[in-house]
Amino acid sequence: MTARPLPYAKTSDGVPALRDPHMNWLVRSALAILFPPTGDLPGVDNGGLDAFVARFRRETPWLLWLGVVMGAMVFHLTPALTVHVPLPAFLLSPALADKHADRIAGSRWYLIRQAIFILKLPGGMAWGADPAVREQFALAPMERDPGTWRTS
Amino acid sequence: MSGHVAFRGRDEADFDGEADYVVVGSGAGGAAAAVTLARAGARVAIVEAGAWRDPDDYPISAYGAMRDMMDDWGSQVTVGRAFWPVVQARTVGGTTVINSAICVRTPDDIFAQWERDHGVGELRAEMLAAQDVLERELSVEEAPPESRGRSNLLAMKGAEALGYPESHYMRRYVNGCAGSGQCLQGCKKLRKQSTNLNYIPETIARGGMVLSCAPVDRVVFEGTRAVGVVGRFAHPASRARGTRFQIRARKAVIVAASATHSPLLLMRSGLRHAALGKHFRAHPGTGLFGCYDTPIDMNTGATQGWASTGFRSDPGLKLETLSMPLELIGSRFAGGGAKLIERLSEFRHVAMWCLAVRAESEGSVSRSLFSDKPVVRYELDRGDMERFRQGMVLIAKQHFAAGARAVIPGVAGLPYKIGPDDLGVLEEAPLDPRRYTAILSHLFGGCVMGRDARTSVVDHRGRVHGTTGLVVADASVIPTNLGVNPQHTIMALAMTFARDLASR
Ligand SMILES: Cc1cc2nc3c(=O)[nH]c(=O)nc-3n(C[C@H](O)[C@H](O)[C@H](O)COP(=O)(O)OP(=O)(O)OC[C@H]3O[C@@H](n4cnc5c(N)ncnc54)[C@H](O)[C@@H]3O)c2cc1C
Ligand code: SF4
Repeated sequence: MTARPLPYAKTSDGVPALRDPHMNWLVRSALAILFPPTGDLPGVDNGGLDAFVARFRRETPWLLWLGVVMGAMVFHLTPALTVHVPLPAFLLSPALADKHADRIAGSRWYLIRQAIFILKLPGGMAWGADPAVREQFALAPMERDPGTWRTS
Repeated sequence: MSGHVAFRGRDEADFDGEADYVVVGSGAGGAAAAVTLARAGARVAIVEAGAWRDPDDYPISAYGAMRDMMDDWGSQVTVGRAFWPVVQARTVGGTTVINSAICVRTPDDIFAQWERDHGVGELRAEMLAAQDVLERELSVEEAPPESRGRSNLLAMKGAEALGYPESHYMRRYVNGCAGSGQCLQGCKKLRKQSTNLNYIPETIARGGMVLSCAPVDRVVFEGTRAVGVVGRFAHPASRARGTRFQIRARKAVIVAASATHSPLLLMRSGLRHAALGKHFRAHPGTGLFGCYDTPIDMNTGATQGWASTGFRSDPGLKLETLSMPLELIGSRFAGGGAKLIERLSEFRHVAMWCLAVRAESEGSVSRSLFSDKPVVRYELDRGDMERFRQGMVLIAKQHFAAGARAVIPGVAGLPYKIGPDDLGVLEEAPLDPRRYTAILSHLFGGCVMGRDARTSVVDHRGRVHGTTGLVVADASVIPTNLGVNPQHTIMALAMTFARDLASR
């Protein structure tokens, strides 16, 4: 009999973290709709989005990641409120999904607005760090963050 | 025992040390207190929760700044009607590493208010003398003409056109600003005088030591006397806990862990004071974007270079410029989908100018049931929200006077952009804080000073009532708002308290 892996792992804080890769997909698919390619500007899904989401999940405190996942869930589960179609956002046509993205971000309900705001935070960071996007704004590409500190 | 000790894993031996004074926190207050004690000949141990990052280690992106420099990724928010971020750093040098280094002297009326309302006199002369020293040692200069950048220049133009009082280019703890617009990620060009570059190395050079990656769990007491601190190292990347440390204080423990963490630390250490965690205050702020026909490129030039302190008393505001990196604009601009990207395409043409409210509202800091993070309960009352809105109107007018064709107010429920003829929309904007995007970066209180032990936590020398050998020397002792940027006041207070300690 082989042992089944637990559905969660303990993070360094000792807090259970969902291991489920569907969470990454949920977040990345919402971000791709929120930051689509438009005109001359690339969208957030311009090559490195999966790696970015995986890194964000790995590096953030679990509560922040949880907030982003909640934001993605709210995003995907609310098209009935915005475009009156009872489907998750990832099943909408691109045009309807785009309409939903704009409407849900400006929802009249504060908690929904906040949930989408938290979701947009990593999206904006990934999009604004893309060298192809930066080039459009005459901004130099960013070097890698060293992530180092004095050890002695 | 001197030098620097960084993270130690669980497989290493516990770390025991001893010093004359143990200073918890290495930001504005902690570093100023530590160097003052070291200059008086004492052995000082600074114990800091964050890692020690030199300019070569500083992040470049906003993502890196949140990960490497901010306390808990900047994810702390107020608990109240609205969830407004409470932003502070967690690194050697504290928030001075990620701030704009704006230097403003403590206004005279503040000393008068402290004396009248809190029985705390006698500080003015000593603090102003300390501010003279700080300005000299930390090379305070006006943002130089060559690094002002268009946003700051336009702000001056708009303010002059409207006759805004006390409009000026800022004075900052910066030696020859190169205008890279990167203050909030740490100044890689070594121009900004954050305390990790000066007072902390000087404390080591004078025989002191720094423990980094070392969040203090509690202050240890023998009877009512504070005799040291204990904690466990925390890895800066994985956040894994390391081995234990304990540092014994021969003379005193100085707590300077910030307005949110100092009260929390004293609570964890078993102190019971009616005023502990109370009288939390802030200068909540927000920014409005002006849209201009020609590129502004707000990320070139000093991150913050222009200000007006002329509205400090009436209605109770400070106005200033602030450049925001592209990576953070994505969440700040309203909307989603193609409309959001179209809005973002204007990035080069927008300038962000801010207001900070000299808010009278009070909140509290308490312990969380679920984590070791502080819970900050805070919301603005109606009077403060009115001031907040007035500030927005002042900034919008200033943008139009500087030539903006539209302003992005960033208020939920209002049009995305307003023109010069639509100011009424802003003047009548709802006062519900949930409509606004604001942050708290100037924090006060939680361990307020005062003569009366029933209504305050520390006395006029920062000594915790009812204890010996325990002093608080950071933003948490400030019993009022200031209406100006607080670093200069915090450092001068900490120096004054430390001088007093050293003279005993
Ligand atoms: C983005 C930003 C910009 C700002 N710009 C300006 C400006 O231009 N001018 C100005 O005057 N003010 C500015 N401020 C405010 C100013 O930086 C702060 O008011 C000031 O640094 C507070 O000083 P402090 O000593 O109370 O706390 P901090 O400087 O925050 O230092 C506290 C230190 O204690 C450490 N710590 C916390 N808990 C523990 C623990 N348990 N054990 C060990 N260490 C601990 C923290 O990691 C931190 O390093 C700004 C603030 C922000 C967030
Ligand atoms: S604007 Fe740039 S050069 Fe000037 S102090 Fe800030 S980070 Fe340093």
